[in-house]
Amino acid sequence: MSTSTATLAANPGATAASGAGASRALMIGVAGLVLTAVGFFISHDSHAVALSYLVGISFCTAIAIGMLLLVLIHHIFDASWSVVLRRQFEHGFAAFPWLGLLFLPLLIGSWMGTHDLVWPWMNLNYDMHGTTVGEDILYQKKSGFLNLGMLTGATVAFFLSWVWLGARLRKASFTQDQDGDIKWTSMNRVTAALGIPMTAISLSFAAIYWIKSLEYHWFSTMYGVWFFANCIRGALCCGVLIMVWLYRRGDFKGILNPNHFHSIGQLMLAFTVFWAYVTFSQYFLIWNANVPEETFWYNLRELNHDGSTNQWWYVGLVILFGHFFIPFFALLSYRFKITHHIITKIACWILAVILIDLCYNILPALKDEHGDSLPFLSMNLVWVLSSVVGVGGVCLWAYLRSLPTTKIIPIRDPRIVECLTHHE
Amino acid sequence: MSTAGTTSADPTMAAQNYGLIAAFDTAPALYHAAEQVRDAGFRRWDCITPFPVHGLDKAMGLKRSIVPRISLAGGITGFCTGMSMIWWTGAYDYKLMVGGKPLFSPMFAFPVSYELTILFTAFATIGGMLVLNGLPMHYHPVLKHDQIRRGMDDRFFIVIEARDDRFDAAKTRALLEAAGGLDIKELEA
Amino acid sequence: MAHVESSVPVPAILQEVKPAVLPRAILVENNRSFAWITDKICGIIEGKTPAWWWICFIIACCVASFTVAGITYLIATGVGVWGHANPVNWAWDIVNFVFWIGIGHAGTLISAILCLLRQKWRTSINRAAEAMTIFAVVCAAIFPVFHVGRVWYAWYLFPIPNSNWIWQNFRSPLEWDVFAVSTYGTVSVLFWYVGLLPDLATLRDRFEAAGNKLRSFLYGLFAMGWRGSNRHWSNYEMAYLILAGISTPLVLSVHTIVSFDFAVSLIPGWHTTIFPPYFVAGAIFSGFGMVMTLMLPLRAVYKLEDLITQYHIDCMCKITLATGTMVGYAYAMEFFIAWYGANPYEGFTFINRAFGPYAWAYWIMITCNVITPQFFWSKRIRANTALVWILSIFVNVGMWFERFVIIVTSLARDFLPSSWGYYSPSIVEIFTFFGTFGVFSVLFLLFIRFLPIMPMAELKAVTPQADVHGGHDQR
Repeated sequence: MSTSTATLAANPGATAASGAGASRALMIGVAGLVLTAVGFFISHDSHAVALSYLVGISFCTAIAIGMLLLVLIHHIFDASWSVVLRRQFEHGFAAFPWLGLLFLPLLIGSWMGTHDLVWPWMNLNYDMHGTTVGEDILYQKKSGFLNLGMLTGATVAFFLSWVWLGARLRKASFTQDQDGDIKWTSMNRVTAALGIPMTAISLSFAAIYWIKSLEYHWFSTMYGVWFFANCIRGALCCGVLIMVWLYRRGDFKGILNPNHFHSIGQLMLAFTVFWAYVTFSQYFLIWNANVPEETFWYNLRELNHDGSTNQWWYVGLVILFGHFFIPFFALLSYRFKITHHIITKIACWILAVILIDLCYNILPALKDEHGDSLPFLSMNLVWVLSSVVGVGGVCLWAYLRSLPTTKIIPIRDPRIVECLTHHE
Repeated sequence: MSTAGTTSADPTMAAQNYGLIAAFDTAPALYHAAEQVRDAGFRRWDCITPFPVHGLDKAMGLKRSIVPRISLAGGITGFCTGMSMIWWTGAYDYKLMVGGKPLFSPMFAFPVSYELTILFTAFATIGGMLVLNGLPMHYHPVLKHDQIRRGMDDRFFIVIEARDDRFDAAKTRALLEAAGGLDIKELEA
Repeated sequence: MAHVESSVPVPAILQEVKPAVLPRAILVENNRSFAWITDKICGIIEGKTPAWWWICFIIACCVASFTVAGITYLIATGVGVWGHANPVNWAWDIVNFVFWIGIGHAGTLISAILCLLRQKWRTSINRAAEAMTIFAVVCAAIFPVFHVGRVWYAWYLFPIPNSNWIWQNFRSPLEWDVFAVSTYGTVSVLFWYVGLLPDLATLRDRFEAAGNKLRSFLYGLFAMGWRGSNRHWSNYEMAYLILAGISTPLVLSVHTIVSFDFAVSLIPGWHTTIFPPYFVAGAIFSGFGMVMTLMLPLRAVYKLEDLITQYHIDCMCKITLATGTMVGYAYAMEFFIAWYGANPYEGFTFINRAFGPYAWAYWIMITCNVITPQFFWSKRIRANTALVWILSIFVNVGMWFERFVIIVTSLARDFLPSSWGYYSPSIVEIFTFFGTFGVFSVLFLLFIRFLPIMPMAELKAVTPQADVHGGHDQR
């Protein structure tokens, strides 16, 4: 490729280092999972720990789905600048089987006992101020969709579809490294054409089943789109972190130039706006129409039964400013987008706020005896963090284990040269 | 086309030179010549191209345009205009309760403020671009060059102004020639 | 091969890079020169007015006269001449307004979103698509402006002090619409004009060389003395990019606010949170349908096959397919949530749409919007230009019916069965709407006669010879 004299020797230490990193990630992950499990058994409120775990696993799954979608979109657009990043996302797909496995405890817990470990509607005798779920007309209307068998089957099907799509994309891309056959590129395009609608549907219904159904009276057609926006934003932020990490480690020196960071930064900006658009539209339409059957969902996140403001109101403000205004203004700047340590901070910030956004959507399902949401600042945060560390650690381990098995960049991809010479 | 008085009797009143213009047939030729002119240290010079040539800003040593800052100022002005207009008209100047909604809320004021943000950004962007470029300017020495029509069509030019400190009619002409410039001409002011 | 800035060491992996060969589609075929592009596009304006242009123009004027007649009658008599009556007080006027606004959106999408996504194929269609936007906004504006009845009071829509001292109701989505649509119209014109600047300068110089003083003066006046300076290009390109950047949220917001007209209300079938992105996807879908309806005949008439290649048609078909499928997702999600929400009125509305008195409209909508685009999966169909053109018309029809279904079915049968009704348009409405196609065509024909239908400067920039490195070895 180049006649330049300064070449880096293939780094023999890198493989060993990433092996060591992988075991460390696994250890941290297992520690997090163990801590969550301990919390589950010692805590008096196992429902709260289970929901915290749902936050953690939704967070990691959202990022993985986002990576899947970005790769599918990359293929359908025949994009060039993101070729190098795509390889890293393909390694990220290695996490899907483990995410599926880590989701199992929630399903198993739902099949056992009174079935209301995670989703209260699974327990037909669940008390709802004098009536039970089973007697609730709204539940009866929805019971064809909201039942244990359907949720289990759908969740398994979703994970199978993601594992399958991920494996298919990985295989095509990795084999192309060896034989340079163009048919793998065409195969990926077919996968993309098929995979985008599949994933759109699976992630929408995952969001409905896992998160929206926690408050099963509530409904919003926008919900799947909201989850989609968070998936993509999470994946882009992880992409930035991987790019910076591999650049600092030396693998991406001479491969990435500022334009790559500018491009991914532009996408982060675009999806920040998109997220805000979706979230604002949902809130705004419900606020403006002011119908009790919809507004109660937001009221739970703003007020106690006596009209006083609860903690979630402030969390909502944190999301408004932290999830939109701060990243939006930060990402407007060209310099911020191409300066590694600044874009890293922005990416970490967005990831943290995505986690808070998921908490905001999931945790207020925990209520006290008055029907008010339990506060945000509580022991549950510990379980959320331990779940994120646990599930995230396992995902990171899966990624790091996959990383050294292929070339660092897809050397035979038809668009690789365009990617390496990416200019504005 | 031009009636400028180059044949004036008084030699001191002779039309002053605006500078030198050299033509190039291809975009790469222009690009490499521009790099040489930049490296020679010229400040007051320009390229004339029929379309925005990719990477030429770097070859000319131009800084990133400051239009975005003007746009941002326009956008902030627009947003504040919208919010304050709706507050002033609805919650201050003539209070009127409609639909049980509050007299003012950033929620319902948002759509209009948002549109005004975009409207003002657009005006600021285009206004800023025109001011920075000094347009409209219907008279310019370059436009009097008899070949300039090709500059809007398929040819490329480099213009070096006589006002530049490093300008020296003979040396600059030699530089342009060495850089591959064709049909080098003097432009009258 | 690559010249690298010396300080950065080159990783060993780069020596292994050996891409599989998959050439990019060429955007300007047959290796055309810059001068060929200029001549080709300016030639359309400079040549003699063709006979077909006059024929089309006269027909378009005749069709447009229907709008004039309809509106004149409306002004002379009152809005009662339209077929609106309880319970359907909003029908063709808003249907047609949303229909035309939606068509405009593809123009902005092509010029803005595709610009941000670096989709270079947009260059040969963006000028005409932007023109389409502006003319579509003009047609759209006719309906809300005249449905106020006494049109000479239309200025009440803007916050201008009047003798009553009452201000506009900013809590109403209709007031947001005023700002959204007028901003959209203004920014579209500005964006279009900025894109035209360099091409106007080209025309100015060509007409001067040809000795046509008047036209040279007029084009020159609007070209503002553009001289192709790279210092200007630098600011110009940045400004263009920002305009693209703000037009993207603008186009989203306009149809979002249009969707708010319905979604903030409590009418079953209107109040649903997915409306904003669903309307936007539908708008882009209908807009691309219209772009194909307009561009494919132009391509044939002016022999522009080297500039609008099969690749362009493929891209447009695929976007139509994608947005059509998104619209399908929204239909399905609405239906599902209508059931899942377990609100009897909401559930009834959707059953009523599919099987009630307006079922015919509903199934036309589903057929045209969800099924028609699925044909574009096939490469063979995409290569058949005539068939693509016919399918694009189905898309236009389908999207008109989508608005009709949403608006009329929800109003005709809402909460109280005693106040149900059935709406049919009056002849005046039909005249007015039919005529807008003429208004649109007149404007579009004038555009292709007097302005460059493709952005010459941008087209030149995507040709291979515009690359200063003569290939992709730049770093």
